[in-house]
Amino acid sequence: MSLTPKTSLWDKLVWSWKPESNREAGSSIVSNFLLHWFPNRVTLKSLAFSYSLYLGTITFALFLILTLSGIVLMFLYVPSVERAYWSIKDIDFAVSFGWLLRRTHRIAAHLMVAMVFLHMFRVFLTGSYKKGSAEGSKRPFNWILGVSLLVLTLLLSFTGYLLPWDQLAFWAITVGTSIAGAVPFIGEQMRQFLLGGTIIGQNTLIRFYVLHVAFLPLILFGVSIWHMWRIRKDGGLAVVEQIREEAAESPPDLPRKTKTYSILGIAKGTTVHVKEPSLLNKNNSVPSSPFLTFRTLTIVLLTLIFTIGLALIIPAPLEEAANPEVTPNPAKAPWYFLGLQELVGYSALIGGVIIPGLVIFGLGLIPFLDKEQKYIGRWFTNSAGRKWSIFGAIWGFVFSFVCMGIGVSMPVRELFPGIESQFFFDIVNPATLLLLTFVALYYLVLRITGSTRLAATATFSGFIVSFILLTYMGTALRGPNWDFYWPWQSWPEHPIQF
Amino acid sequence: MSSADKEVKNDRRSFLVKLTMGIFGAGVAAFSWPYLRSLDPNILYEPPQRFKIGLPESFSQGVEFLEKQRVYLFREGNSFHAISGICSHLGCTVKYTPFRQQKEMKVRNLNVVSSGEFHCPCHGSKFRDEGTNYAGPAPKPLAWHKLEISPDDGQLLVDISQKVSRDFRLVI
Repeated sequence: MSLTPKTSLWDKLVWSWKPESNREAGSSIVSNFLLHWFPNRVTLKSLAFSYSLYLGTITFALFLILTLSGIVLMFLYVPSVERAYWSIKDIDFAVSFGWLLRRTHRIAAHLMVAMVFLHMFRVFLTGSYKKGSAEGSKRPFNWILGVSLLVLTLLLSFTGYLLPWDQLAFWAITVGTSIAGAVPFIGEQMRQFLLGGTIIGQNTLIRFYVLHVAFLPLILFGVSIWHMWRIRKDGGLAVVEQIREEAAESPPDLPRKTKTYSILGIAKGTTVHVKEPSLLNKNNSVPSSPFLTFRTLTIVLLTLIFTIGLALIIPAPLEEAANPEVTPNPAKAPWYFLGLQELVGYSALIGGVIIPGLVIFGLGLIPFLDKEQKYIGRWFTNSAGRKWSIFGAIWGFVFSFVCMGIGVSMPVRELFPGIESQFFFDIVNPATLLLLTFVALYYLVLRITGSTRLAATATFSGFIVSFILLTYMGTALRGPNWDFYWPWQSWPEHPIQF
Repeated sequence: MSSADKEVKNDRRSFLVKLTMGIFGAGVAAFSWPYLRSLDPNILYEPPQRFKIGLPESFSQGVEFLEKQRVYLFREGNSFHAISGICSHLGCTVKYTPFRQQKEMKVRNLNVVSSGEFHCPCHGSKFRDEGTNYAGPAPKPLAWHKLEISPDDGQLLVDISQKVSRDFRLVI
């Protein structure tokens, strides 16, 4: 409902996107369906690029790009073992702009995985998973939604990886699904249920295809909508807690009646008599439309430009058609799993099942281990936080280095030639050592500082460094037979076939 | 209403709630079962587990790799045995790497002369030429498959569904 009468059809359609007064800005949120999920006003702190880096927005923009390019690719791709590879060849060479679609889809997928990780790093390092003092805040729960979005993104990438049905795809999925087989007791059943048989074949392809194009995207879409809805319910980005803290220090205004939509009875906690004065005022906030909409649109456009730009430069590889008879040497998983593959190289049980399981579980536990409600929305907590996070990063660097050094130079099996028990080597290996050093790091910092937040910050920083190092190791320093090669060493020529 | 009445009423209500939830749960389970069960295939259109590979005389002395079946066939004189080419770690195909010259070594407390070993390209596991894992993450030795002579035409018959010990030999 605009105040000045809109006469032309064009004005009637677009006025809510370019409101001319605060009143119109408020009305536009209510009258435009596409805007109704934005709040009326948004704080300047939330809008600040330096706080959120808009990583979540970028991630969702990438998901939209993936959906769009993916739907078109679905018309062009045939999920059958006889034709899958050749339909990809057609997409690359026979379909007009097919190459661009496939490159865009692939690059956007890689970027999305990277952005999900960066978004998680940002949320952790700014302490944005903390509950704070807002009524009905469930930020810890939203963090768990975020962790499940990370897992869903990885699953989507993994299922998409098989579809080209080339050598790279086939062997990466062979290794990946065998990791599921390393789970004690039920592993083999799980693997066979995933594959729909005992070997990778037509059943596997159609399973992964349906998971990739329908099941997982729908779940991911639903959870991400939930994730964003929770941000609104929690009163905006966590940085708003700072405004709340400032307001708590200054003398309180008189409580006043504020318009609230929760009188509809949908939400719990607030009534017509709002318990606290609104935190938003003219000095610390602006209308969502156009300030937030403009920024969101800009970020989406920049993401699109960047993705297409990269797609023009970086070709999507396609190796020979999948051949179960010949394993390429080396056989590598996608880059975000190469850190894991390095650990799997020490022990499938520890590296492939226990460590990833503990990492996902541990990530989910973070808001429940660290309940300190201070310094919410501040990068690296405070000066002590910065110090401990550098400490944790160095710790992670040193011990990842030591762990990989042991893995390369002193294979555990050669240190204990007399022992044949597999259980022994599943327990005693560099991956276990790495895990234990992180546990030690957490308790060491906790003991010195007495702060769970500082201990978590140090451990998390170490985890980031370790993740990057292991990924680099698996990507760049492992050659044929998974042997170690320095970057300046060339790989020996290997006969591919026996 | 006395407190006893309330209790009775609450009990009945909570019982009915539990009953409804129970029936609902059973309904969901019964409804989902066909959907899940249909995804567990009853027939696998996969290569057979037991197959003929050719007459024994057609194989040369030493090692031969049967690509399709991922089986290594060893022949020493008239003695045959078959070792799986599937790495016991994560299922990559291991590659037989011959030594420049034969080596004497101790494997499973036996002195043997070995002319090569198996390397896995995925995570660097290594196996002796009789399948024993000695380096890398492989948790157990390579599988040995049962070898038979087909009664109808005398061809070698490999049965990859049957595992045999590392002392198995088919002598003709």
